[in-house]
Amino acid sequence: MNEPKFRYMKDLPSARLLGSGTAMCAGCGGLQALHGIYDILGEKTVFINAAGCMTLLSVYPFTPFRGSWLYTSMASAPAGAQGVRDGLDILLEKKRISTEEDLEVVVLTGDGAAYGMGLSSTSGAIERDLDFLYICYDNEGYGNTGQQFSGATPHGARTATSKGPRGFTGFKKDLFSIWAAHRPAYVATIAGAEPLDLANKIEKARNLKGPRLLIAIAPCPTGWDYRPEDSVDIGKLAVRTGIWPLKEYIDGKVVHTKIPHPRLPVEEYLKRQGRFAHLFTPAPDTALIAEIQARVDGYWKGVV
Amino acid sequence: MYRIRFHGRGGQGIKTASRILGTTLFMEGFEVQDGPRYGAERRGAPMFAYVRASMEPIQERGIIRLPDLVIVTDDSLIPIPAAGVLTGVAERTVLLINSDEEPGLWRERLALAGPILTLPAAAHAPHINTQLTSVLSTGAAANLIGVISRRTLEEAIRKELAPLGAGAVEVNLENGLKAFDLTVVLKGSVREGGKTQAASYDPPDWIDLPFEEAAISAPAIHATATSERVKTGVWRTMRPVIDYSLCNRCWWICSTFCADGVIRVDEEGYPRIDYEHCKGCMICVAQCPRHAISAIPEHGEDTGERQE
Ligand SMILES: Cc1ncc(C[n+]2csc(CCOP(=O)(O)OP(=O)(O)O)c2C)c(N)n1
Ligand code: SF4
Ligand SMILES: [Mg+2]
Repeated sequence: MNEPKFRYMKDLPSARLLGSGTAMCAGCGGLQALHGIYDILGEKTVFINAAGCMTLLSVYPFTPFRGSWLYTSMASAPAGAQGVRDGLDILLEKKRISTEEDLEVVVLTGDGAAYGMGLSSTSGAIERDLDFLYICYDNEGYGNTGQQFSGATPHGARTATSKGPRGFTGFKKDLFSIWAAHRPAYVATIAGAEPLDLANKIEKARNLKGPRLLIAIAPCPTGWDYRPEDSVDIGKLAVRTGIWPLKEYIDGKVVHTKIPHPRLPVEEYLKRQGRFAHLFTPAPDTALIAEIQARVDGYWKGVV
Repeated sequence: MYRIRFHGRGGQGIKTASRILGTTLFMEGFEVQDGPRYGAERRGAPMFAYVRASMEPIQERGIIRLPDLVIVTDDSLIPIPAAGVLTGVAERTVLLINSDEEPGLWRERLALAGPILTLPAAAHAPHINTQLTSVLSTGAAANLIGVISRRTLEEAIRKELAPLGAGAVEVNLENGLKAFDLTVVLKGSVREGGKTQAASYDPPDWIDLPFEEAAISAPAIHATATSERVKTGVWRTMRPVIDYSLCNRCWWICSTFCADGVIRVDEEGYPRIDYEHCKGCMICVAQCPRHAISAIPEHGEDTGERQE
């Protein structure tokens, strides 16, 4: 296996290519991850963005990007990416642009689009072997519209549409496996709170061709109900409790890139967030906490 | 007609405050309009909400330009022109500020002739519980208007906050009624403004532009990172300050974790915070392994450059 390009935190780029002054919330974990991603992908990119919080990044005449940006409906960002890729390919073929001027086509959507409405068009794009990157920032709900539940909402979390004593009664979809089952070039999970792992995965994805898809956990102070300063701690805890496994799918195999050892109890993660407060007050819901823990334990039993 | 404007920050519960006040007036038999105003900005960004109440049908629409009462839940907004706190504030307008500074100081600072009141209790509400500042100002405002009974206020708080659960209702009741009681001597100091007509408004400084083709009126923008023109530093209520005598120059920690990418490294390897854009999330304070970054409150006029 090749040596990773970034071995230490201090090897990471310090450029901060993504402009500041955006309308994302103070402490937005999704924005923090996007910074790290953009510093590595660079400005020769075109972003195709489905409706969600990050739509507010580029509000005419302001944009934090250094390249173009296209807004699509929630369900169709990968279809938009197909159009942009085809357009670029035609320009290349007609020699109207040089290979130097070619752009990386990047889809950027929330989980509502990635796990739900946009899943069909993503499936189609992978099927057509579209050469693109898909970045899903996963804040586990419809953040932009007030955190209603989505296909990514974890079991037990309170959302604007799951306010009962047990929170959301469904289960988070395994989008990584759904995507990997299509056998694309690359699939990975990342976390802004783990910048080195993130940087190496983006670097790897950047150098591959075909469909490359990444899911970034996006701790969301507004939707998850915690203080903005806790965003990075919560991202780290998601990894250390084993709730957010860092892994990649490449060459037909799934590899875990950071196996938490020892794994912290899930409470450490849950108790820091208001969306799980009902698991702890007025009395601890030990059964539900144990259920969440058992699910995480079951996952890792299959890994190590 | 009563015309009341609330100014605060996203996340402080301004929308709810105006809603509760609107409900109290409605319950007292008034016709009421209440509405929040915010753009794409989020938690921490300046926003406002307003209430109109009249015993006669309300024909006015839009933003309140000549307020009878202006409530400011966060005094750091006052010096920010974009927040528009002082728009249309006249001699008869009552200004209620959540601030632990004296009304006299504010009068001097703002050179205003009208009545200024402060609510120190709200300014002292714990930082995390900023929502309480909104119910405190609602309680105070209800008494200042003078036509709302304590009982109506209680009922309106219960009604509007019921979905948040019994705990939230109790805390808000306690604080809302406390503020109501504190302002008893000022009962009725806000008086109804007269009728206004479009003709009575000062015309805004319009610039007439001819209708242009799209290519001219909505030009393509090729400049990069134009978002930096938006100074999100005004969202901040607390300011992270680096103590360079403790800083280890491990910039890759604070700079990489900064959600807004506003901590850059200088030539000597020291992190520098761009206060024009820092939103004050305080992730850097939480992550700095040397505890070299601390959070200090932003104060009134003291929003200029300060580092080191
Ligand atoms: C088809 C469709 N339905 C509903 C909406 C309204 N809407 C805009 S953003 C949004 C939430 C998107 O959630 P997600 O993809 O998770 O992104 P987030 O807001 O969390 O960043 C919704 C429902 C829409 N734009 N299009
Ligand atoms: S709602 Fe959440 S995901 Fe959306 S901008 Fe705010 S912090 Fe980010
Ligand atoms: Mg989402």
